[in-house]
Amino acid sequence: MTQATKREIPIAPGLFQRVDEGACLIGSRCLECDEVSFPANTFCPQCCKETTEKIPLSQRGRLYSFTVQRFRPPPPYRGPEDFDPYGVGMIELPEGLRVTSVLEQSDLTRLHVGMEMELVITKLFEDEEGREVVGYKFKPVGGDLQSEESTSSKEGRRRP
Amino acid sequence: MREVYVLGVGLHPFGRFGDKDVIEIGREAVINAISDAGLPWQKVGAAYCGTVFAGPMAGNKVLARVGLTGIPIMNVENACASGGSALRAACQSIAGGFCDVALAFGMEKMPRGFIAGNVNDWFAVMGLAVNPQYFALKARWHMANFGTTEEQLVQVSFKNHRNGALNPFAMYRKEMSFDEIAQSPMVNDPLRLLMLCAPNEGGAAVVLATKEIAKQHTTKLIKLAATVLDSPLYGTAEVPHISVSARVAAPTVTMTAAHEAYREAGIGPQDLDLVELQDTDSASEIIYSEELGLCARGEGGKILAEGATEIDGRIPVNVSGGLLSKGEPLGASALAQVAEVVWQLRGEAGTRQVKDARVGLTHVYGALGNCAVSVLQR
Repeated sequence: MTQATKREIPIAPGLFQRVDEGACLIGSRCLECDEVSFPANTFCPQCCKETTEKIPLSQRGRLYSFTVQRFRPPPPYRGPEDFDPYGVGMIELPEGLRVTSVLEQSDLTRLHVGMEMELVITKLFEDEEGREVVGYKFKPVGGDLQSEESTSSKEGRRRP
Repeated sequence: MREVYVLGVGLHPFGRFGDKDVIEIGREAVINAISDAGLPWQKVGAAYCGTVFAGPMAGNKVLARVGLTGIPIMNVENACASGGSALRAACQSIAGGFCDVALAFGMEKMPRGFIAGNVNDWFAVMGLAVNPQYFALKARWHMANFGTTEEQLVQVSFKNHRNGALNPFAMYRKEMSFDEIAQSPMVNDPLRLLMLCAPNEGGAAVVLATKEIAKQHTTKLIKLAATVLDSPLYGTAEVPHISVSARVAAPTVTMTAAHEAYREAGIGPQDLDLVELQDTDSASEIIYSEELGLCARGEGGKILAEGATEIDGRIPVNVSGGLLSKGEPLGASALAQVAEVVWQLRGEAGTRQVKDARVGLTHVYGALGNCAVSVLQR
């Protein structure tokens, strides 16, 4: 937690950690069958035994499938009051699992199956005590892909 | 194990009914099924109630308004498969010899809007866990890998709304034009509003009996040849999921449940004359057509486009209008599918009758992979 500040808390304990090269999700690997789970499990859901160890997961993976969330989800969703559609995807990691995640990408027309994605830890909202609640998202490798005609696309992603 | 027959079916229409009490909705469905069965309520030896939103002891509350006869009443909550689970339990009670006549029923008065939840709070707080997201992820994957088109997604909804216009129990009971569907608001790309079913209100009930009793009351014998309830194997992507294995290629729960149902009934998908399946959304109908074995993997869009799933096609799918036209009251939906197939097999389906239907299958799929499949034969 080298970069963590006092006023920052994770959305839930044990999901991710900051490392020198950024951050990674924390999974678990079964010592018997090698199957990897996220979030980390104390038991292996395939072997049905308590045979796991915690491991850091790869920061990069491929977009397996995606959608766009066009309406504000019901509570307990805590996104910004001024709702903007956001991407949701399944990112396939080299460890052999697909993680469901919100995508950090402003031009949603540029998402496509197979694109390379990387993990980011980002502020989600500020809680009642003024702390920054942070969670994980995935973004295209090389950063947020902006459209060439960024003005028109920005209008395009907002619903009338 | 004893053979089990469907003696009576009854519905309360699906839709929105203002202040009408959910218990009354359930009662009307039960009364209609008992009346259809043609035997006195006192003959029913056990009852199973499927509901998600009607609250604790909902089944007991309904049957207190039908008559207190001292029978066992079991309340079942199993998401979208609640009614299918109640049906299976009722079937088993007869097959196992515990009673000769059993009732399965279900009813809902669901909150408006899309269903979310069923998973860790933090996941929903981040903006995940909304049901249509997961249907959309499957839809996008299917399109990317098998070439299923947006036009086909429109066509599923078009077909089911056209069928539903012929069904007096459906919520919408009207046709929707291609343009209306294709231009309805995008909800979760590629799924638009009119490609998604609406949670709503309604009730359904089914009376089951031994062959001996069924024969005393009807000449139109409909055999419940299979009732399967499966949960998923490890490694499949259910609604919703935080992560899923990419290393394990397990068959989906629809595949395993269908496989068991075909084996139990001693038939294969080629023997079916009609199918009522979980069209939570347009893409689900295409995907489940494949998983139920109505066509090869990846060809669900193709058989739809060819017209094979129309009322007069090779294998009619959702002739009742499906959930897209009827809406989905979770505890009632599977039992309403059974009612539709029973009417079809009896030749009582009016303008949406499938010609000479002899064998039908019903399928529901719910949160975390609860899946119920049944096969009915005349």
